[in-house]
Parts: sequence; structure tokens; C-alpha cells
Amino acid sequence: MRTKILIVCMLMLALVITGCSSSTSSNEDESDKIVLKFLHKWPQPQYAPYFEEVVKEFESQNPDIKIKMEAIADEPIKDKLRVILGGSEVPDIMFSWSGEFARKFVRADAALDLTPYLEEDAAWKDSFIPASLQPFSSDGKNYGIPLRFNGKFFVYNKEIFDKHGLQAPKTWDEFLDVLDTLKEEGETPLMLGNESPWAAIHYLTGLNQKMVDQEVRMNDYNPRSGEFTDSGYVKAMEMLAELNEKGYFMDNVNSSSHDMVKQMFFAGKGAMFYVELEEFQDVENALKGNWGFFPMPSIADGNGSQKYITGAPDGFIVSSKTKHPKEAIEFLKFLTSKENSLKLVKDIGWPSPIEGATNPDTALKQVAEGVDYMKQAEGMAEWLDTDVHAKVADVYLSNIQLLLDGSKSPEEIIKEVQAVAKQVQSEVE
Amino acid sequence: MKETYRNGRTAFLFILPALLLILFIVFLPIVLNLYNSFFRWNSFEAGKTFVGFDYYVRLFKDPVFFTALKNNSLYAIISLICQVGGGIIIAAILEDKLIRRFQPFFRTVFFIPSVISIAVVGLMWQLIYNPEIGLVNGVLNVIGQSEWAHSWLGDSKTAIYAVVAVSQWQYTGYMTMLFLIAMQKIPMEYYEAAMIDGASKINSFFHITLPQIKEMILVGSVITVIGAFKVFDEVYVMTFGGPGRSTEVLGTMLYRSAFRNDEMGYASTIGTIIFIITLTLSLIQMKLGKSGQEVE
Repeated sequence: MRTKILIVCMLMLALVITGCSSSTSSNEDESDKIVLKFLHKWPQPQYAPYFEEVVKEFESQNPDIKIKMEAIADEPIKDKLRVILGGSEVPDIMFSWSGEFARKFVRADAALDLTPYLEEDAAWKDSFIPASLQPFSSDGKNYGIPLRFNGKFFVYNKEIFDKHGLQAPKTWDEFLDVLDTLKEEGETPLMLGNESPWAAIHYLTGLNQKMVDQEVRMNDYNPRSGEFTDSGYVKAMEMLAELNEKGYFMDNVNSSSHDMVKQMFFAGKGAMFYVELEEFQDVENALKGNWGFFPMPSIADGNGSQKYITGAPDGFIVSSKTKHPKEAIEFLKFLTSKENSLKLVKDIGWPSPIEGATNPDTALKQVAEGVDYMKQAEGMAEWLDTDVHAKVADVYLSNIQLLLDGSKSPEEIIKEVQAVAKQVQSEVE
Repeated sequence: MKETYRNGRTAFLFILPALLLILFIVFLPIVLNLYNSFFRWNSFEAGKTFVGFDYYVRLFKDPVFFTALKNNSLYAIISLICQVGGGIIIAAILEDKLIRRFQPFFRTVFFIPSVISIAVVGLMWQLIYNPEIGLVNGVLNVIGQSEWAHSWLGDSKTAIYAVVAVSQWQYTGYMTMLFLIAMQKIPMEYYEAAMIDGASKINSFFHITLPQIKEMILVGSVITVIGAFKVFDEVYVMTFGGPGRSTEVLGTMLYRSAFRNDEMGYASTIGTIIFIITLTLSLIQMKLGKSGQEVE
């Protein structure tokens, strides 16, 4: 008898426990609206309102679609995306960098092939600057839609340059001369905040591209065939190390953050700073026209094309698990419409990949010029830390700090890169 | 009635809920983790490839693993000296008759750091260590020791010590609190008797206080040592293993493998190793703890 009562009690307890766990999931789809989950990486107060406004506008134009928006900041989203994609609640539209970062999701069949949708709507496809769609493609198919078209440029403080009668350099030798003059005049020639090592990796992105033959480099950046045996990779690191050894960089690069260094540059404490196009607006706000910019100078004995610009688009991929691909595409079209792209450029000063959206009327003069640079370039050198396999990127990222504090040589680093590239080759089918 | 007590089946029914909870929440993940460490897989891809003991072999050849082990051990040793050793000394001083009046004030002040969120602490110390505007270098400059001024977190030789120091700052007060509680349980008569016999304060510390709080010392040591092998957030917030890999600990190495390099299998391998280390340490604790009781 007692055992029976016990069993009943236990069953009731079990019911209570299971009851607790399942009671949370029922109140979402009470309306018959289509819910699209949208994940981006700009929770900052200066950018978030733009997305809120665009989403609101889209919802009012499409009353049967509801957008559930979420934002995770730049650094954490690198980890979270991987976890989210493995879970059951995958967002329909997600932020992604272009290049290998997106391609690994393509290899895992996590990203939807967007080629048919782009082919279907030629006007939409043609509205993009071609160079901005290409980095999101894999084996000739498009997997991502760019939102921004970002390039990396050296900005310089005109006041300091004028004081010493300097001009924006066009070649690497001129660049070294400028640095030398600045150093001798007691200025800090180059500002760099390498606490998060992507900052120095962006230098190496351009140097690798300029030093190594395009075909060889693409072969190496492909996880299936990467070897990194070209001598250009070592030379690229030597050139970066040289900037440091000659004292052209500021002190304490490895313990200063990019944002802090940016404030120091704005306060006039350094002559040059390597920044992204999206940061031009901040530079203008701080230096008020008293600045200029130039792309990474060309290198005479480099084997790569000297007419490339460092940079890449970033944008969105669609989950292959989405139940509403049509609506997701509808939203992406809305997000990249000419109207909203003009708004993007105007409201937050980002360079848009939409043809003609970033023009001198909407954007800062320098941003429009920057986009022109990228349109005229032969190609883009995509960020080294998102364009190679994550494990290769990790070796580069953690070693670049040691290169700059002098505890590792370029040869030692390239050996590690080669070893990990070999390992990756054997793992990627 | 008595039959029910002897009824093994009924007894089993009573412990069943707790047993199930422990099985599913504690033991199943451990077994799954071990199983997962034999496969190459990542969080967003469906398939798994069996690799056997490959990851274990790789781990024991990986120089970063030994850096991490070294850093974890450093963490453990320094924490033992500062948190347990320092904690006892501070607690003994605070328990002294002369200072006891102010004890609540000091107790609170020392305890405050341990209730601050680690993210806040990490960011705060990053600023304190900052070579340009930080407090540490500022003080060194003021007292005329500017040659000691240093990029504390930016130099691969000093970074790990800088991170370990933050943990000492944060948790010594917590340990002090534990020892204070233990010391307050010691009957005053012991000290009075010792005083009458002419024992000095140092003598009564070594011959009364220490033996009386032996159990707490054991518990405290084990908490700090196991904590040192599980440390993650301090390092993650302040350096994320850098510069280079110089401050990598097992926790950050696991995180990097899982969420940066997409190698869940390797991460599971590291997880298994952390489990073995902490399990061994706990077993040692249990053994030592028992022998402690026997002495009493």
C-alpha cells in the first residue's frame, strides 16, 4: 500500500518537473504572423537605432511579417554564432564576415544558397558593386548579402604632416622615409592598439597580399590546399617587425586597445593611424577636416598586385534551416534597397556596397573617395583573420603580438603556420 | 512500520529522484564529454568523425598545453601562499585583542572585492595596469622608481603574474573571512591559559590557533587549488591568453578550441584532463580531511 502511495507521489513530482520545463514555449506563435529572427552585431547606441527604424518600416510595409531582432557585439558574436548555429533556435538571417568565416558555414550546409534569388531579381543583383558580392561567394555561388563595404586606410594628421612638410606616400619606400622623418622630428609616427591582435593582423593582411602572388596566396588561404611556403609571407612579417624595431610604432602596442589609441590619435598624439572606412566619420568628428588618408603604399619588389585595397564587405547569411526563405530574402532586399542604403550612409556614415549610395552628397567626402578607391581596385585583400581557416587565423593572431614584442621571429611563426595549415588540410574534407 | 525501514526497494525509491538528477546533471555529461573527445566535430556541423586517441596524443605534444599547466600550477601555488597563508595571518591579526574593535570595518573592506563581478574587476585592473594612464606605473613614477614602470599585461613575461595578482586581491579577503569564523570558535580559555603560562602571541598562534583551525585550512587549500585549475574568467577578461599564448590556462585553452577553432573534440579532451586533475585533487582532499578527523 505504502509503496503505491509513494509511486503516485513520485509520478506527481515527475509531472511537476516536466510541467515546468514545457510551459515556456507556448505563447510565441499565438498570432499567425510569420516570425523572422534577425541577428546582427551592432548593439552600440549610435548604430542600433538605424536597424530599429528599418525593421519598423519593414514591418509596417509587410504587416504579416514580424522581425525579432537581436544584436551581439563584434567580439562575442564570433563565438556565439557557432553555438547558435548548432542549437535549435537558429536565426533566419545572421550577420557574417565574408571569406572563410562564411565559407565554413557553407561547408557545413548551414548557409542557404542565395544564387537563385539573385538571378531571379537581376536589378537587385546589379545594384551591388560587383567586388562586394564576390567575397561572399564559394564555388561560384552566392551565400551572403553585403551590408557594408569596408576598406582599410592610413589616416594622417594634416597638422603634423604640414609642420614637417610631408605628403601622403605612394610607395613603401616613401612611406619609410615619411616615418623616418617623423621619428627624427620627435613625433610618434604610427599609432597601433594591438591588445586585440586583429589590429596588427590588418597590416599583415595588406602586406601578405602585396608580397605574395595572388594565385599562390589564394591557394594557401584555401583550407584544402594551404601550405604557406612562399617566401613572401616571411618578408611580409619582417616588414611589419621592421616598423616596430625602428621605433615607428608607439610604445606598449600590445597592451593598448584600439579604441584607446584612437582617442590618443584624435588628441593629436600621433601622426598616422590605420583605420577602417567605417571609422572615417569619427575621425572627421574629432579632427574636423584636418586629416587626409591613403591606402597601403605599393611595394616595388612585391609579387602580388599592387592595385588591391585591403578590406572586405560584411553582411548577412540566411540559415539553411529557415522556414521562410522568401520572406528572409524580402527583408534583405529591403535592407539593401537604395533608399535604406542612402539612409545607412547618411545616418551612421558607413560605406554602402550599393552602387551610387555612397556619394559625396550623402557621405563624408573622404568616405566617398574611399569607396571610389575600392571600386577602382583590381580586388580586395580580405581580412587575414577571417579569410583563412580559423585555426590558421588563430596561430597568426596569437603570434603577431610576440612578433611585435620581439620574442618570436617571422621564420618561427611561419613554421607554426605551415604546421597548422597541414593539419587543417588533413581535416577538411 | 519497521518492515518499511528495512525494505530496500522503498529506500531506493526515496533516493531515486536525487539519483536521477545527479545521473543526468553530473555523471551523464562527464561520460558524454569523454565520448565526445574521441571524435572530430564542431557545434554547427552535423557529422562526427571518429579519431580515437588522436586528440590525447596531440594534447601531450602541444606546447600550449604545458604553458597552460604551468600557469595553472603557478596560480595554485601563489594562491595557496597569498590566500591561505596570507588569509590566516590577516585573520589572526584581526582577532587580536588590540585590533578586534576595528574588526568589522576591516572585515568588510577586505571582503568587498570578492563580491564584485569578475568582468568589472577585470576591466578595472586593465586600467590599473595600463602603461600610459594606469595607477601602478603612476605610483612607481611618483616614488621615483620609473625604471620599474612596465607594460604589465602587454609583456609575455609579466602578464601571468599580473593576472594572478588580481585573483589574490580579490579572494584573500574571502579566505580571511572563512578563517575568522573558524578562529572565533576557538574557546578563549586556551589563550588565557597560555598567557598565564607565559606564552607569547606568536607561540599561541602556532600552538593553539593553527591546530584548532586545521580543518578550515584544509578546506581553504582545496578550494583555492581546485579553483586555480578551473580558472577562466579572470584570464578571459584581462588577456584572453595573450600576449601570444603566455597567459593561457586550461580553461581558456578549452574555450579557444571549442569556440574559436571549431574543435569541439579537442576541447572535450582538455575538459577530460581538467576533470582528472580536479578529481585527483578532491580525492587527496577527502583523504587528508579524514585523517584530520582521526587526529581529533
